[in-house]
Amino acid sequence: MSTPTLTILHVDMDAFYASIELRDDPTLAGKPLAVGGAEGARGVISAAGYEARKYGVHSAMPTAQARALCPQLIVLPPDLEKYTAVSREIMQIFRSFTPLVEPLSLDEAFLDVAGCELLFGDAVEIGRAIKLEILRRTGLVASVGVASSKFLAKLASDMDKPDGFRVIRPEEALDVLRPLPVSKIFGVGERTAKRLEALGVRTIGELAALERDVVMQRFGATGAWIHDLAHGIDTRRVTPRREEKSYSCERTFSKDIASREELRLRLLEFCEELAFRLRDSGLRARTVTLKARFSDFKTITRTKSLPFTTNVGVRFYSVARELLERVPQQPLRLLGVSLSGLDDVRTPRQGLLFGSDPGALRAEEAPSPEDERALERLERINTGLDHLRRKYGRATVIPASLLGRAPTVGRDGTRAPR
Amino acid sequence: MKVLCEREKLREALAVANNVIPSKSPKPILTNVCIVATAERLELVGTDLDVSVRYSIDEGIKVIDPGTVVVPARVLHDFVRDLAGETVEIEVRGSTCEIRCGEDDCELVTADAEEFPVVSRFDAEGAFTLQAGTFTSLVGRTAFAAAREQGRYAMHGVLVEIGDGLLRMVATDGRRLALAHAPIDTQDRSGPSRPSIVPTKGMQLFCRVMSDALDSVKLHFAEGQVGIRTRNAEVFARLLDGDFPRYSAVIPAESRNFCEAEAEVLERKIRLVANVTGDEARAVRFSLTPGRLELTGQSAGRGAARAHMDVDFKGAPCEIAFNPDYVADGLKNCESSHVRLEFNEKTSPGKFLLGENYVYIVMPITVDG
Repeated sequence: MSTPTLTILHVDMDAFYASIELRDDPTLAGKPLAVGGAEGARGVISAAGYEARKYGVHSAMPTAQARALCPQLIVLPPDLEKYTAVSREIMQIFRSFTPLVEPLSLDEAFLDVAGCELLFGDAVEIGRAIKLEILRRTGLVASVGVASSKFLAKLASDMDKPDGFRVIRPEEALDVLRPLPVSKIFGVGERTAKRLEALGVRTIGELAALERDVVMQRFGATGAWIHDLAHGIDTRRVTPRREEKSYSCERTFSKDIASREELRLRLLEFCEELAFRLRDSGLRARTVTLKARFSDFKTITRTKSLPFTTNVGVRFYSVARELLERVPQQPLRLLGVSLSGLDDVRTPRQGLLFGSDPGALRAEEAPSPEDERALERLERINTGLDHLRRKYGRATVIPASLLGRAPTVGRDGTRAPR
Repeated sequence: MKVLCEREKLREALAVANNVIPSKSPKPILTNVCIVATAERLELVGTDLDVSVRYSIDEGIKVIDPGTVVVPARVLHDFVRDLAGETVEIEVRGSTCEIRCGEDDCELVTADAEEFPVVSRFDAEGAFTLQAGTFTSLVGRTAFAAAREQGRYAMHGVLVEIGDGLLRMVATDGRRLALAHAPIDTQDRSGPSRPSIVPTKGMQLFCRVMSDALDSVKLHFAEGQVGIRTRNAEVFARLLDGDFPRYSAVIPAESRNFCEAEAEVLERKIRLVANVTGDEARAVRFSLTPGRLELTGQSAGRGAARAHMDVDFKGAPCEIAFNPDYVADGLKNCESSHVRLEFNEKTSPGKFLLGENYVYIVMPITVDG
C-alpha cells in the first residue's frame, strides 16, 4: 500500500435546508427554524437550523414532538427545487477544482484532489478555497474536512461544525481517533456499539487495541472493516457518479387513502415524476416495485419487470397499476414506487417484434398496435416536453388526469416539484 | 411378468423414455417407467404429464409371462446401460423386479402400477400422414427461435398450422421469428381449428423418435393435445395455452433495401466481429454500400473489429445492427449457398430468406440519440 497522502476532502453544508431559508428571509435570523412537514399531517422534521437544535430538535423527529420541545419553532415546507438548484451550484464549484467528486446527497460530497496541486495548491489550500467560494457564490457556510481517506475526511468535517475546517494529517490520525467513541466509525450502529461495550470497548482506541482476529470472530466481515477503520485504514476511493441502482418516490399520506381511483392517480403522479428524473439523468429502467403500507404499519412490496427498459411514465404506470391490483383492498398509509434495472439511454437496445410483451399479457390487455405507436411517439416527443418542463416548470406539461390536482405532499413536506 | 430382451434395444427404449421422465417430481410416481409386456411386444411408458411417450419393442424380445411393472426409470436405464451381456432378463417376483444379465443382476423396488397415470393411445382417426423428414426438418428450421426465458408462456413452443396442403411451423421469442412450411398430403382436410402451440420439449421428443427420415409418421390433433405415431413410438404433448402472437403482421411484405451474400462467408465474418462485442446488448452493425458489406462490432471493455465482404447490393448506402448470435442461429440453418437480407429502416425488422419457404425475421438493435 502506498503511503497515505492528504488528498481527500469531505465538504458538508451546515444545516443546508434551514440555512437556505434563512439566507432568503433575513427576518428569520436568530429564530429556531426547521424545514419539514406540518404536524397535523403526521409531519416529520427533515432539517433543523442550529437555533432549533439547541432545543433538541433534529431531523426525522415528528414535527409534533419538535413543537413540544420548542413551542416557538418555525416549520417551513421544504422547497426541494430551490435546494437542488443551490446544490447544483455547489457541485459545480467542486468540479471546477477536481473531476473526482462523489456526491453523497444534495449538500455533501467527497472530493479527491490528487494531481490538482499544480493548478490549485495542496488539499488544504483547495479546501479553504472551496469553502470561500461556496460562501461567496451562495452565501452559505460549509464545513470542510481534509484527510488521507474518506473515513477521516468525514470525521474531520464533523469535528468542528458548524463553519468548520479541520485537517487530519496521516501522522496524527491515530491520536485523533483514540479518544473518540466507537459510534463515530462508519458502520458501527447502536447494536454494534452495544456489543462492543459488552467487550469493554467504548473508544476507537480501545477497539484498535483488540486483536484483529478477535474482532473478526465476533463481527465477521464487519469486524475486519471496523478494525481497519479504527486504525485509520480506509482504502475506499472517491468514485465520481456513484452508480445509482434505483429511483424511488414514496409518500406517507396525511390521511390513509382507501379509494383505488385516488391511489391510482398518486401512482401516475409518482411514475411521471420518476420517469422525468430518469430522463434527466439519461437513464431507463426496467423493473417496477410498488410499496404499500397499511394502517397497521404492515408493509408489502410487489415487483414486476417490463420486457425492455424505458423512461416513459405511462409504461411504468401500467405496470404499477397492475401491481396495485395485487395489494389487498385496505386503506393505505403509504404508497411508493421504485424503479430499478437501470441502463444508460445510450446502451444499444434490442428491438421487439410484438411491441410489449404479448406472452405475459393476456390478449385483451395487450396494448393495441395503435397504443404502441402512440407510446413510441410519446417517447420521441418527451425530449421536447422535458425541455419545456425544465424551462417553465414541471407542471407545464402533465397528464390530463392530474390536471387541477395538488401534488402529493410527503411527510417531511417534500413534494414533486411543479 | 417375465421377459427376455436384447440389451441394446432395451437401453435405447429406456433412453427415449428418460427424455420425458423427470428425475425429481412432486409426484414421485412420475420418476418411474411403466413396463408392459404383452404376448407380442414390450412397451415402455413414461410421462411428466405434459409430454408422454409410449415406446414399444417388438423385435429381439421373448415374453415368457405377460404383465406390468413400474420401476425407477433412471436406475433401470443406468443399470442396463452399464451391463455387458447381450440379453437382459426382467422378472417380477412379488414386490421386486429382478434384472439379470450374464453373471450380473439387481433387484429393483417396484411401485404400484395402479398409481401410474394413464397415457392415452394414439388415435389414427383423422390423423395426417407425412414423412418423418418433412416434420423434423421444419422443427429444425424453427424451434431454435422459440423463447427460453420465463414469462412468455405462449412462445415456449412451436406453432403448428395445417392448411392449403401445407404444414407450417412458426417459433419466436419476441426478438426473432422463424417461419417455414412444406407441402404435405392433407387429403383436402384442414388442420386443427385452434392454433396449436407444441412445447419445445415435446417437439424435441417427436424428432428423437423419428430416427428414419423416410419413415411415414402420423400426426393427430385432439383437444389440448397433439400426438404422433412412428413405427416404434407414440408421443403425446399437451398443447400450450395462450395466444401465439400475430406473427403475420410482423413479416415485412416489401422492403426498400435488399442484398444477397454468400451465407457461409457471412456467418464466419459475423462470428469474427462478434468476438469483440460485449456480453450484454451484443450488436454487429451491417453497413451496405454498392457491392460491399462492412460488419463492425465494438464494446467499451474489449475494443472494435471490422470485417468486409463482397455482396450483391445496389442502392443508397444504408445500415442496420443485429445481435450476432441471432443472425448466426439463422445462417447455420441456411439451405442455399446465398442468403438474402431485406429491410426498410435500421429500426424495422430484418428479413432473412434462408431457403425455399423459409423466412427468418430478426429485430434490429438500435441506439437512441
